[in-house]
Amino acid sequence: MTTKIIELGAHQLALEEPMYFRVKLEGDRVADLDVLPGQVHRGMEHLVMRRNLYQNITLLERLCSLCSNSHPSTFCAAVEEVAGIAIPERAEYLRAVADEIKRIASHLFCCAVQANAIGETPLFRRIMEVREIMQRAKEAIYGNRMDLAANVIGGVRYDLTPEAAAYLAGAMEEMKRPLDELYLQFGNNPALMARMAWVGVLPREAAVECAVVGPVARACGIDYDVRKKSPYGAYDRLKFEVPSQTAGDVRARNLVRLAEARQSVSLIEQCLAQLPAGPLCADNLPEIPAGEAIAKSEAPRGELMYYLRTDGSDFPVRLKWRVPSYMNWDALKVMLKGEPVGNIPLIVNSIDPCIACTDR
Amino acid sequence: MTDLTTNVAAALAMAAGEEINVLWRRDRKGVLTGWCRLPCGEALLPAARAVAELEGRLAMVTPYLPERAKEKGEREIAYHFDLDGATLTLTVVLPLEWARVPSLTPIFRNCDWQERELMELYDVQVVGHPDPRRLFLDHTLPHAPFERLVPYSTFTNAATGKALWDKVLAGEREDA
Amino acid sequence: MHIEVEETAVGPVRLFRINTGSCNGCDVELAVTSAVTEFDVEQLGCRYTESAHEADIVLITGPLTIRARDEVLRLYAQAPRDKVTVAVGVCPVSGGVFRDSYAVDGPIERHLPVDVNIPGCPPRPQALLAGIGAALEIRRARRDGEEPARNPDHRKHHGTDNFPARGRMSYDAKACVDCRMCRHVCAAGAIRFEAGDGGVRLTLWHNSCVFCGLCSHYCPTGALSVTGDWRLDHRAADAFTQIERGEVPYAPCTGCGEAIIPTAPQLLHAAFRRPNPEIEKLKNLCPACRQLMSIGVPRR
Ligand code: SF4
Ligand code: SF4
Repeated sequence: MTTKIIELGAHQLALEEPMYFRVKLEGDRVADLDVLPGQVHRGMEHLVMRRNLYQNITLLERLCSLCSNSHPSTFCAAVEEVAGIAIPERAEYLRAVADEIKRIASHLFCCAVQANAIGETPLFRRIMEVREIMQRAKEAIYGNRMDLAANVIGGVRYDLTPEAAAYLAGAMEEMKRPLDELYLQFGNNPALMARMAWVGVLPREAAVECAVVGPVARACGIDYDVRKKSPYGAYDRLKFEVPSQTAGDVRARNLVRLAEARQSVSLIEQCLAQLPAGPLCADNLPEIPAGEAIAKSEAPRGELMYYLRTDGSDFPVRLKWRVPSYMNWDALKVMLKGEPVGNIPLIVNSIDPCIACTDR
Repeated sequence: MTDLTTNVAAALAMAAGEEINVLWRRDRKGVLTGWCRLPCGEALLPAARAVAELEGRLAMVTPYLPERAKEKGEREIAYHFDLDGATLTLTVVLPLEWARVPSLTPIFRNCDWQERELMELYDVQVVGHPDPRRLFLDHTLPHAPFERLVPYSTFTNAATGKALWDKVLAGEREDA
Repeated sequence: MHIEVEETAVGPVRLFRINTGSCNGCDVELAVTSAVTEFDVEQLGCRYTESAHEADIVLITGPLTIRARDEVLRLYAQAPRDKVTVAVGVCPVSGGVFRDSYAVDGPIERHLPVDVNIPGCPPRPQALLAGIGAALEIRRARRDGEEPARNPDHRKHHGTDNFPARGRMSYDAKACVDCRMCRHVCAAGAIRFEAGDGGVRLTLWHNSCVFCGLCSHYCPTGALSVTGDWRLDHRAADAFTQIERGEVPYAPCTGCGEAIIPTAPQLLHAAFRRPNPEIEKLKNLCPACRQLMSIGVPRR
């Protein structure tokens, strides 16, 4: 069998963002893989040390547009932990609303991109149209379709007026049927089954060894969700289950995502029903003492972790974060091994890789 | 306090051969974070093995220059582990110059990139890393940019902002 | 009539995207303009291509990282010479929030000529279509050997949208108290204060602003506010004049005569709800005279 090494770029990988892979092929099958990140490295962990804590709210929201709300909300949680601030209950719920809205849109985008990667153009367009319901809702409530600008240190800076809440409830109602349909389609449609089932398999043991997170882990039967394991914000008062699958293939990952998106609809509805009255923010300009803290959250792609160290000034001494995508690249080596070259774009997109997040 | 904290204390004590203090904090939602400063750099490897034994997952590695790093001639690296929802942070204190740490990649496969990043951003040698190539930094960039926080003005191109603003302010004068 | 025939004969105008290291916000919104019927570039007679060689219009996103630079320039050089170049989002124009990073080598104009800017972070699809429309106008004019028609100002007509998108910031100098909180919280370095002879001048550059609204959130008097004006595309030659500006004049302290920034009525209202004439007097006093007045020095 002939061995050869090929280099693939964003275009061949069907990615929206620049990324390179060096792939070792045996015949027409993948034998090994070297992931070459860095194209989107913007030195952000360096930049955050030269910006004050307030500036970092906006800067971090621009780490990645697909999980853009997870970053400021988790960062603010770390600052609040250092400062001993308990955010108002209403703010906890509003943060959850923002995070879950983003989760639905992000999961749908991932499923759409995969449909596109296997040439299912009508399905791609259909999912993108469904996602537009979320995009419209985001713009109506927050004023932007990607970056919500929802968080501040001590709480949130948006409110849901009764009209906005009613609008959002309507949008959630609108989402239910398409999400249920998509779940069935990704689960049972023969054409999709043929491309996605038993493809890009990550066995549970390998998943544990690679320490993958998020839907990628849950598709292998690892039912880890930060919202359950380390509750934060309003999640200790919301009812939800952690969807999981056991097959560990492309199909399983998408079923987890679609089930989660459907769950997010329910979470948002619960938030709207329980939304307590009260202030949006604890204290607009709190003292931030010297200290260190960890804050974690379940971003759309999985566990997100922030470490903040302060010295009493409003510039961080160190602000470090680890995004979920960072943990999942390595598992591609397992998923792609023995797969034909033609499956590479689909499998790569099935981990919902975010390069802006990874490179920072 | 709980099984977890007792187990961690016992495992770390076993590994280090002496009592190691872990400070546990429980937040409003009941989530535990444990903070532990290791007595010396050599304690890292056995401690990490002990955490692996407890089925801990390496979550993140944070190298940093602490407050007054220059004066004290010290730097620190914090290793954060997940223990089924609780986070344990093991911090090693290293000399500012010629810092070396053992690689944890042989124990935790996912430490690979974290350590590659640590090596390119800071002046720290990771001993025994299987693949110590650069990861994110372009080859034209100087080594260890995070060592140059102070003074950063000479290093970063703050000039870009200034040049642009000069044009903004000049542009308006022309218009007027 | 024959003009239309000519247009269809040459086929759709081809758009080519280059991501120079963006947060992917602009890219995801561009994807929408090829996937969602309402925003499809087809309505402008355009189509996306995967080949730089075919590019009639090049759309550039991101702040240009050092790592991506060579590939970006290689792709750009592959595109035909008469292409029109559009900078999407504020990143390529000013670096946005990423300006002055060690890993960033923008602004893009240092490396290649840009024709149209579409401010936004990210711009909404309607703004992308408007900007691509402006690029088509330039392309048409170049083909016909004309001066491109000056970008007509559509802003007023587009204000009435279904939703209040977060658009351009607006500044009311009369309400400003010169506390500079806005500059302090702005991640994008989009706000400058300059002390002049007659007062303090604030300049906000729309090509640096990322439309986050944080300045207006922390502004104690509402001097800065978010408008729904999102239609901000312009010729790249006008990049540096896209500003909001105002001056807070100095006034002599009614106590001692020193030049001061008088307290804005908005601040007095925020502090006292309903200021009485006694309190109103505070606003024209310098801090020293204010203290004198409030610690009970005989009233005049
Ligand atoms: S302009 Fe904003 S949305 Fe666009 S790439 Fe830059 S940071 Fe992201
Ligand atoms: S909205 Fe205000 S704070 Fe945000 S980038 Fe623009 S000027 Fe800066």
